Amino acid sequence: MQESLKKRFFNLPPNVCTGGWLYKKLSSLTTSIYVLGLMAVFFVIGTIFPQGESFSEYVKSGGGFTFFVENLGLLDLFVTPVFLILSAVLLINLAVCVYDRYAPLFAKRVFQRGFSPDKTIYLTHGIAGAHVEVRRVLKEDLGFKLIFKDSEWIIMEKGLPMRLLTWAYHAGLLLCFFGLVLTYLFAFEDTMTLSPGKLQPISMKEPGRVQSLWKSSHTDRSFGLSLDEFSAEYVQAPRLDYPKDKLSRLAMGLGWKGREVALELKDDSIAPKNWRSRVRVIKDGVFAEAHTIEINDPLRFEGYTFYQTGYEQKLKVRVDASPILLETKTGEEIFLPGIENPLKFGDLKTGALYRLDGSVDRLIPFTTVKQARDANGPKDKRSYDDLGRLEQDGSITVDGRRITLAGIEESAVLSVRRDPGVNLLWTGGFITLIAMALRFYGGFYTAAYRVMEADGITLLEVCLSTKGLWTNRESILRRLEYSLTRDDLKLTPLPDDAG
Amino acid sequence: MLNYETILSRDAFLLSVELRLFWIIALAYGLAFILYAFHIVTRAIPAGKAARSIMWAAAFLHVLLIIFRTFEGGRAPFQTLYESLSWFACMTALVYLFVSRDLKKVYLPGIFVSGVTMSVSLYALLSRTPAIDPLSPPLKSWWFEWHVIFAFFSYAVFVVGAAIEASHLIVKPFLKRGYDRCLGFTPGMMDKFHKKAHRLVAFGYPLLTFTIISGAAWANEAWGKYWSWDPKETWSLATWTVFTIYLHCMTLERFKGLPASVINLAGFAFMLMTFLGVNWLAKLLGIPSLHVYAV
Repeated sequence: MQESLKKRFFNLPPNVCTGGWLYKKLSSLTTSIYVLGLMAVFFVIGTIFPQGESFSEYVKSGGGFTFFVENLGLLDLFVTPVFLILSAVLLINLAVCVYDRYAPLFAKRVFQRGFSPDKTIYLTHGIAGAHVEVRRVLKEDLGFKLIFKDSEWIIMEKGLPMRLLTWAYHAGLLLCFFGLVLTYLFAFEDTMTLSPGKLQPISMKEPGRVQSLWKSSHTDRSFGLSLDEFSAEYVQAPRLDYPKDKLSRLAMGLGWKGREVALELKDDSIAPKNWRSRVRVIKDGVFAEAHTIEINDPLRFEGYTFYQTGYEQKLKVRVDASPILLETKTGEEIFLPGIENPLKFGDLKTGALYRLDGSVDRLIPFTTVKQARDANGPKDKRSYDDLGRLEQDGSITVDGRRITLAGIEESAVLSVRRDPGVNLLWTGGFITLIAMALRFYGGFYTAAYRVMEADGITLLEVCLSTKGLWTNRESILRRLEYSLTRDDLKLTPLPDDAG
Repeated sequence: MLNYETILSRDAFLLSVELRLFWIIALAYGLAFILYAFHIVTRAIPAGKAARSIMWAAAFLHVLLIIFRTFEGGRAPFQTLYESLSWFACMTALVYLFVSRDLKKVYLPGIFVSGVTMSVSLYALLSRTPAIDPLSPPLKSWWFEWHVIFAFFSYAVFVVGAAIEASHLIVKPFLKRGYDRCLGFTPGMMDKFHKKAHRLVAFGYPLLTFTIISGAAWANEAWGKYWSWDPKETWSLATWTVFTIYLHCMTLERFKGLPASVINLAGFAFMLMTFLGVNWLAKLLGIPSLHVYAV
């Protein structure tokens, strides 16, 4: 049976092709161990070099080993040919192992003759009665079922089908692997910025790897998203006044220093609670679906998934009484007329504020203003002076100029993704987890026993093997002995007054 | 309705009570560590027994502390590294005490476990902030609690597995030289301890598998990508890979002795890197991580 399966797999007789040796290697656990070891080494290297970063950025940020990083592609290690080949070998190894162990699941098991008994129990039954009673106890009291018997030994077992479970979680992992392959080949993603009231079609600038080969454009203009409202929520977050140095903390902890921890609440002690984008899906010009996208609650539509990843905030500012409004984004520098050094506006806080006392307020939209100390030099190394808080329709004076926040606009930034590998991955993951948990935590017992007579005494010899963490070999043996001997006369000490 | 001053002073008071309790627990772990060391030096059984009793008391208080923190924060206490460290120390102590029920007069693994729980607790108290911050939006997910609970449960199991494996490796040469007893071990117990370490890894492995799959599912819900080769993700996969190697080694006759023991200890080292080392590595190398909230 096994031989024919192998032949079918390689489509050649095993003695003609190199498959004999190759198949053995690919179905071997030793191969798995070495390949997994190499994978672990790759994983570690992948955490040392920032994955996905461009080489120029890496050099700019002072990264070392530039020769190796550039030539070995260490910044995209997990798509290098070496890693992909290694992954392919692991995939084939796993697939062959799963295939190789499938047929034996249903093959008739051959049991060895002769077991060294774990326990010998003396019985008071005759040999024929003992056979019946042992079988009854194992079957009815302990839940074993008969699977094999010959003229001497009888084998019974109970519990979960361990070999099937072992096979199942390997097969589950194989499904996960196929899911990963589908993702690697076909998944694609992009980001889209939705402004209120504007319909945006779905357009993918970066198609998946295989689609790139087909030169397919991946622009689906049959439907689009329209943002009805973007909203944010904040919560008051008191700041903890607690020593930073270890000695002060130690002194506090051991009670040598009388200072207590304290909490303080300032105007800017707020933290984000949630962001929401209320969107409508318009398909072929007709409303199709409405959804409020939040982090951890994406919108799924026709194979695409839309995630809330961030927001974009535009501010309209007026300098003095100028009728012209200047537009800027939060977090970006802007040079304003009559002001020497550039200004930078912090994140706009707007929406609901959940206060500590349980009340909820609407925030008056505000931002913070910073001014660069020096207009020259690289932007990322500039230091800034805090100029304070600027509310909507409020003003702040900088270098003698009055800056007014005259308007705000918030857009939702969504990530859109189409990934045909996800469903297979979750199916495989689910099978893996269930089968693995049952296999590792469940219990399986095999009992081999024989009933024999020696010098007129009936003996039961039992050999019990277990698999799984929740098995208790001693308990089964104890219960077996108890059930078989509970009605026997037991020797008990005579009472003291018996003479 | 309470005014702000009342709320802030109440919360500060609760936090100071919590810190006092955590200090007591950390010192109790320290005392257990000293007693275990005393036992190893003097072979005095009462010192080992006292150390185990103190571990029980510290673990009990630690469970109370976790419950206290849960009520204090109004959420599962796993958001910051301070909270994760506390949970990890508590789980490690509990798993060890559960396993040590049938270790009888063997106290050597206790010095490793109490050393870990003490160090982790002191690291939390001295280097991390105990502030209770509101949950950030990505953490508001069903996956959050289960992902973290199972992650640290598996880590705790691996710590105890490594402690037992290391103890067995330390004692083995002495017993091979002909000693009939060494620190409570007898030659007949060697195989039992090697198997116990194996059983612990076998227990922790599905938990770690769940951690990785649930983390991927959560990332898929929150960021739209189930895997991004983030340093923490990659280290957790490396740890899983090492324990996979270990479990396979234990099924092969030629690997199931010393090679498997060494791989088990390597798995423990990888686990430490996943939990703590990766934060340090990411900071050192300036690699951005999606797990910044756990730093």
